[in-house]
Amino acid sequence: MITIQNLTKVFRTEEVETSALSGISLEIKKGDFLTIMGPSGCGKSTLLNIIGLLDSATDGSYKLLDQEMVGLKEKGRANVRKENIGFIFQNFNLIDELSVYDNIELPLLYNNVKASDRKQKIEAIAEKLNISHRLKHYPQQLSGGQQQRVAVARALVNDPKIILADEPTGNLDSKNGNEVMELLTDLHAKGATILMVTHSDYDASFSQKTIHMKDGVIFSEKLNQRNVDVFMDAK
Amino acid sequence: MIFNWFKIFIYHLRQNKLFSFLNVLGLSIGIAGVIFAILYWNNENAYDQWNPEKENSYQVLNKIGGTGNTWASNSIPFGETCKATIPEIESVCFFNNTWYDNAPIKYQNKKIMAEKITMSDNGFFDVFPFPIVKGAKTNILKEDSSVAISEETAKLLFNDQDPIGKSLSYNNKVYTVKSVYHLIRPSSIEPNYVFGGVKREGDKTSWGNFNYGLMIKAKKGTDPNALVKKMQNVNFVNRTVKDAKESGQTVAQYVKENGETTVIIDQLKTARLHGTKSSQGINFPEGKGNLQLLYIMVGLSILILVLSLVNYINLATASAIKRAKEVGVRKIVGATKSQIVTQFIFETAIIVILGILFALAIVELSLPYYNVFLKKTLTMNGSEFYLQLIFIFGLVIVLAGIFPAVYISNFETLKVLKGNFSRSKSGIWIRNSMLIFQFGIAAFFIIGALIVNSQVDYMMNKDLGFSGDQVIRVPFNTPERIKRTSQYLTMKQEIKKISGVQEISTFAGTFGNSTNSSSGFTHNGIHVQPRNVEMDFGFLEMMKIKIVQGRDLLPQFASDTVSNMLMNETLVKTLNLKNPINTIITSGWGKDSDEENMKFKIVGVVKDFHITGLQDKVPPMVFINLKTLQWNNFNNVYLKVSPNNLTETLAKLKTYWEKNVNPDYPFDYEFVNKGFAKTYQEQVKQKDLFFILNLVVIVIAIFGLFALASFSMERRLKEIAIRKTLGAETDALLKELSKQYVVFCLIGFAIGVVPAYILLQKWLENFAFRIGVSVVPFTIAFISLLVLTLLIVSAKAYQVTKIDILKYLKYE
Repeated sequence: MITIQNLTKVFRTEEVETSALSGISLEIKKGDFLTIMGPSGCGKSTLLNIIGLLDSATDGSYKLLDQEMVGLKEKGRANVRKENIGFIFQNFNLIDELSVYDNIELPLLYNNVKASDRKQKIEAIAEKLNISHRLKHYPQQLSGGQQQRVAVARALVNDPKIILADEPTGNLDSKNGNEVMELLTDLHAKGATILMVTHSDYDASFSQKTIHMKDGVIFSEKLNQRNVDVFMDAK
Repeated sequence: MIFNWFKIFIYHLRQNKLFSFLNVLGLSIGIAGVIFAILYWNNENAYDQWNPEKENSYQVLNKIGGTGNTWASNSIPFGETCKATIPEIESVCFFNNTWYDNAPIKYQNKKIMAEKITMSDNGFFDVFPFPIVKGAKTNILKEDSSVAISEETAKLLFNDQDPIGKSLSYNNKVYTVKSVYHLIRPSSIEPNYVFGGVKREGDKTSWGNFNYGLMIKAKKGTDPNALVKKMQNVNFVNRTVKDAKESGQTVAQYVKENGETTVIIDQLKTARLHGTKSSQGINFPEGKGNLQLLYIMVGLSILILVLSLVNYINLATASAIKRAKEVGVRKIVGATKSQIVTQFIFETAIIVILGILFALAIVELSLPYYNVFLKKTLTMNGSEFYLQLIFIFGLVIVLAGIFPAVYISNFETLKVLKGNFSRSKSGIWIRNSMLIFQFGIAAFFIIGALIVNSQVDYMMNKDLGFSGDQVIRVPFNTPERIKRTSQYLTMKQEIKKISGVQEISTFAGTFGNSTNSSSGFTHNGIHVQPRNVEMDFGFLEMMKIKIVQGRDLLPQFASDTVSNMLMNETLVKTLNLKNPINTIITSGWGKDSDEENMKFKIVGVVKDFHITGLQDKVPPMVFINLKTLQWNNFNNVYLKVSPNNLTETLAKLKTYWEKNVNPDYPFDYEFVNKGFAKTYQEQVKQKDLFFILNLVVIVIAIFGLFALASFSMERRLKEIAIRKTLGAETDALLKELSKQYVVFCLIGFAIGVVPAYILLQKWLENFAFRIGVSVVPFTIAFISLLVLTLLIVSAKAYQVTKIDILKYLKYE
């Protein structure tokens, strides 16, 4: 699904050039659940942003669904993004001024989905994520876990090909964090492709494969053994 | 999608009720100003546009050689000769062009006090083709005893009877109604009655009697420049050449000494607003369009609209920071840039619609006052007006909406969602320069209002050279003009006996509107055209007008009613008379046309006083007694009345007038001071206009400043918290926060000063008597602007420095 070859990203200011990514190569197949880990400033967020088409690479190749993304204009990127990619953020990034329903509806609006279909889809995804009773509330009225579930619902409502999660549990306590991770695992089990950035080894353990980055390069890849954690609540 | 946009718009509207309201209000005031200007503009530009002959019809004016005065009046032989000798001229029309008569009209036993009466000739309906609804369609005023009346008048006089062929009496003459016409407004002349026979016998062959307004209708496609040349030639052949021959000079010599009349023609289409300025001030009975006031209105309203637009843009971009996250999220879930732009323009559109509705309400409510102010009856009507409204709507959206929308849509998604965008410096310089611009406009308005105000004050308090205190002017409409002087002299004794009347006198003229006649003469090779003051004995004394040399005209000297005259200082100076007393001059008056011109001896010099408004210089004047020429040219008597029992005195005068002067005319009076005040009424209006607009501008500007200062200070809350933690005191913080606004105020003021100085200087050039522009208004404006700025900014700054430090250090 995603093929990345020799990808580099250089940030230039007037005085300094900083290389955030230097020659990353990576492949993500349909149905993969991949975690990227690494210390602050290692380039993991930059990589996620490039994959999410929020940022552009300086050099190299990034193919999404066999289509070259490097060099694509802002407008083209926006189009690919809205059809294929769902985002989940650490700070949820819900629009406070809109109700839960309206927040989830946004991607459908921008994808020109018919009004009747929209309602059906929103209700279905809310049901699935157990937030049906919250549709009329505003984000500020929900707990962190519920807000993140709304964000997940918004990411999924348009059936994206890949879900990008940037520290999805970072702003959540462990109970709510767990809920979200289980949700992601569930989605993965049903066939979703997920790429996640995290600091937490525990969260990473939910995924199939973990990539460690440092100073803009991938220095290790490991397949995770899925441990069934008996003392889940203890963590 | 629109529903989604609308929801978020409503949310923000409710969150920022006050700011949203002020924002809408600011815009609506700006739009209301433009609507007012448009209504006025439309009305002024609509004059005569209905007239199918507007492009072929011209008004004829004459610039008199020697004095350089321009008269909107003509002599009969000039007009007739033009018609007879210039093939391009289809018809000519003589009419009373500077005034309407208001007089009683009688039909059978009915008598009505009619208004807007005019006199003309058979050419009238060629130039002003009001549609004829009844009666003859051509040759309507061929006979001097014919009259055409408007539909409304027909109804008023005859109810449902057929008016055609009925007899009316006006000025003791009987006229037959020939036609009824439908009056189309607005028009340069909107008469209720058009009587035939305007041409008086004595004027028919006299080239020097400029007593009539003249319109000519040219054939289609006539070149006006060629036409005016031919007319100029008529004047040259018949006047200049003949006059030169009579005076025994060559033409060149004569022209050099006396100058030559220049013929000017104004196309009817543009005559109302762009017509030539004449000495009488008005060229048509409905007056002249006040182009200057129109430009001032349009200019100021555009400035106010710009001010409110700047405010809107400033607030929109400042509050955009609060919307950054929303925009980022929208972009991530798939919104394109153009969708974001559309969304924010959509919001502007709603605000503008609200603004326009508000503006229409404001206009509707204040239209009556505006109409009083302009002396008009404007209404919000007509497809043209609504088209203009739609145009304003579009324009305001484009000007106010596009910039903030593009600005917002350019937020970088990543920065917005990750970094702390709320302290971003983006767009600050634009907001600051707009703020400076606002300061500039505010400075302009404050300076303008101060200067206009002091000029009006100056005009109201200037020593006019006469005192009108307790003097009333009473119209003296005796039925037979020829006997007026002798009737007046008889009645004078009786009126004097009425208790409360202290003095009585008269002259042929009114204060504020000049005298009723003017005659030219040449002395020592200098040609002058002084105003004639035909006055009763005691007139100068009653008006407290001073004599600076010699003596007043007195009843005990027989020659004072025959061959003695007074001159004013201006005329003495113009004629270069070193010792004016006892100088003999040859006047421009002859008792009969073949007799030699009369000679007069100057017995006194009158101190200059103002007979017209302060726009004009004091004209040269000669003073002679009423009996000298026996022109019976006066229309009023002047009475000095005691302030005690005024009502009683007036009641007695009324009874006397209705019994003895003319029972047909209702008794009327006006205080001389009040009459003169009409000459600066226009400026008082402009002063009031400036004052009101000034308030509006200052309110908008203050609100803009407050809002902008609030936004930018709230962005600095964390900085303030840190400074406070480090020990900054409130004073130091206040200084720190207010500093930049004082600098903006200074720059803005500097920008506003230059146009204010230039434009106000230009405005003052309207007045022959004017104040000099001193530094005082500039200083006052500067100080008040600075004080206002400091007040607003430090109030906000003080509030900001009282924040809870912990809250901002912890959570930001």
